[in-house]
Amino acid sequence: MNTKDLISMAVRNLLKRKLRTVLTVLGVVIGTASIVVMISIGIGMNESFAKQLEGWGSLQVIDVSPSGGMSYDEESGRMKQEKKQDPLDAKAVETFKQIEHVEAASPVKTSYFMIGAGKYVADANIMGIDPAAMEALGYKVEEGRALTAEDSKAIVVGGGVEFYDPKLSWEMRYSSEPPQVEILDKKVDVSYDWSYGTRYADKKLKTTKMEVVGTLSAEGNDSYWVIMPIKELEKLQKARDDWEKSKYGGNSSSNRNQTKEFDEVRVKVDKMDNVQAVQQQIKDMGFRASSLTDQLEAMKETTKMLRIVLGAIGAISMVVAAISITNTMVMAIYERTREIGIMKVIGASLRDIKLLFLTEAAFIGLAGGLAGIVVSFGVSQIVNLVAMQQGSNMTSSIPVWLYAGAVAFATGIGILSGYLPAQRAMRLSALTAIKTE
Amino acid sequence: MGENIIRIRNVKKIYQMGSESIPAVNGISLNIRQGEVCCLFGKSGSGKSTLLNLVAGLEKPTEGQIIFHKKHIERMNEDQLADFRQKYVGFVFQSYNLLPTLTALENVTLPLIFKSVPVKERNERAMEMLKAVGLEERATHKPQEMSGGQQQRVSIARAFVNRPPVVFADEPTGNLDTRTTYEMMDLITGLAKQNNQTLVIVTHDLELSEYADRIVMLQDGRIEKIEDRRKGKEETETAAREKGTAGKAEGEDGHD
Ligand SMILES: Nc1ncnc2c1ncn2[C@@H]1O[C@H](COP(=O)(O)OP(=O)(O)O)[C@@H](O)[C@H]1O
Ligand SMILES: [Mg+2]
Repeated sequence: MNTKDLISMAVRNLLKRKLRTVLTVLGVVIGTASIVVMISIGIGMNESFAKQLEGWGSLQVIDVSPSGGMSYDEESGRMKQEKKQDPLDAKAVETFKQIEHVEAASPVKTSYFMIGAGKYVADANIMGIDPAAMEALGYKVEEGRALTAEDSKAIVVGGGVEFYDPKLSWEMRYSSEPPQVEILDKKVDVSYDWSYGTRYADKKLKTTKMEVVGTLSAEGNDSYWVIMPIKELEKLQKARDDWEKSKYGGNSSSNRNQTKEFDEVRVKVDKMDNVQAVQQQIKDMGFRASSLTDQLEAMKETTKMLRIVLGAIGAISMVVAAISITNTMVMAIYERTREIGIMKVIGASLRDIKLLFLTEAAFIGLAGGLAGIVVSFGVSQIVNLVAMQQGSNMTSSIPVWLYAGAVAFATGIGILSGYLPAQRAMRLSALTAIKTE
Repeated sequence: MGENIIRIRNVKKIYQMGSESIPAVNGISLNIRQGEVCCLFGKSGSGKSTLLNLVAGLEKPTEGQIIFHKKHIERMNEDQLADFRQKYVGFVFQSYNLLPTLTALENVTLPLIFKSVPVKERNERAMEMLKAVGLEERATHKPQEMSGGQQQRVSIARAFVNRPPVVFADEPTGNLDTRTTYEMMDLITGLAKQNNQTLVIVTHDLELSEYADRIVMLQDGRIEKIEDRRKGKEETETAAREKGTAGKAEGEDGHD
């Protein structure tokens, strides 16, 4: 018996008993829809968490910092001294770049300089990075562009960096609105003299002119930073140390500047799903590593119970649907005993009989699955509407794979539920079957 | 007549009903020849249907051998039996056994569907068969829209459509009136003779045995008498004599 005949015969048999078929399919529809909706709410919540976190920075970036400090030991509940591991230097950056799924890694050094634009100045946290990696590291550039490998005397300024008039007193500065300073595509003065712009400034000191090639969004974790090529930052730090030595004599204010160690390394991972794994690998090397996905995991954890309950509801309704398919098929066999006997006598193979019943069960599953995803789509829309009105995180999102998977799953459940009945039909004695009236 | 297509050797079928054993077929040896119309005749309960079902592979004998060509039917498993039925056997039943939801044409195509014959060819062949039984105008009718005689014609068409070497018919006219009975017997024997097909037909009506080449008379699960019509007059053989022939058949077997 060929596939086409098998399918048309199966469909015919199902249509012969429309009401029962529809009722059985309905069970599968409910089962499929509840599973899909439950999963979609899980996905939707995670997506909305991720969206929330993305406002703060890239979810694909891991911040690596050197170990060697104190850390909280979860087991003992006490602070403990971490073992000092490899230094977080250029070699470490290269090692990170070799890890699978890592797209880019940049060293980070930070400092605190003054930036002058006309008569205004800003106290700026400076972050020196590998300019070639800036694009990849997911800084949220709002206007202009990110730094590139060719940039040297160029910076990108965070939207949260505020300028002020250094001639004003503290009180006046905080009581007045911050001035709007147009700096994009302009050259600004960068100085390590914290008195820059005031009358205490070192008049002999020359500033470094740098071009503002872009600005970062005012929201997010990096909004208070000024991004600069790390080479420039190091030059400025060295110049500052020399200047401080000549001015005050003795040791410089910071000794990390002299070491080859970075304050931090930022690692970009190809996909969000790989972040935790890469992060763990880096931790295993003895560094500290954190990322926004830590927060995401924590958020997911809070909704875990809810998702388990929702998932269980879906699973139970599918089990009920499966039992109902089996029941329908067993009933069909009782009713069609004679028919099965006749088919066997006039030349049906055991395989034909078995496949016929399996196909019928599969079609119940398939029909239920298809109708189920249509219903899921509707329910998902309603859930989102309600979530929007209540400002809730409980949104529903159905990716294409979930639709496809649901149909395949429902069909699979159909086949599974039809298996025992089909086996039974196959084993019926032809003679006994045709004697049945 | 050709050689022996089916050899039945000392076959027994004993039903166990609680503590009682019912020997429905109680030691039968018989050769069925290629192309003959063989009639199994006997009173109700004499074991005709049981013997037919054993030979057709619908039931397993308790004892003995049933050999179709060189294949031992009694040793076949369910899969092999299904294959055997598909390739070599056609059936006509007393109660027609048509599928009620299918049209006449669809009922006739069913054996060809199971044999994976392409749509066009199987429809042609089924239509041809319906024509042969005089029902081409009823092709799209469902069984309940037809008379008993018409239904039995459809079932005859279904039995012959696959051109099986052997057709088994168990009281095919049992539910029909006298006139229709003769029409049906003419039809079924005519079709069998046309293609030199072997027909094994069960009846309890002695008048129908006119159509037979040989009449095997059964009583209490045994062969009482065999009448061979081909040898002109009513030449009769006793059951004991037939046992001798069966023994000879066994001897021949060793040589082929
Ligand atoms: N499945 C069965 N179980 C028990 N006894 C049976 C069964 N089939 C037939 N018999 C018995 O075997 C005997 C022969 O039956 P059957 O072959 O149907 O006779 P016939 O077809 O000649 O009327 C009868 O006594 C009948 O009751
Ligand atoms: Mg009978």
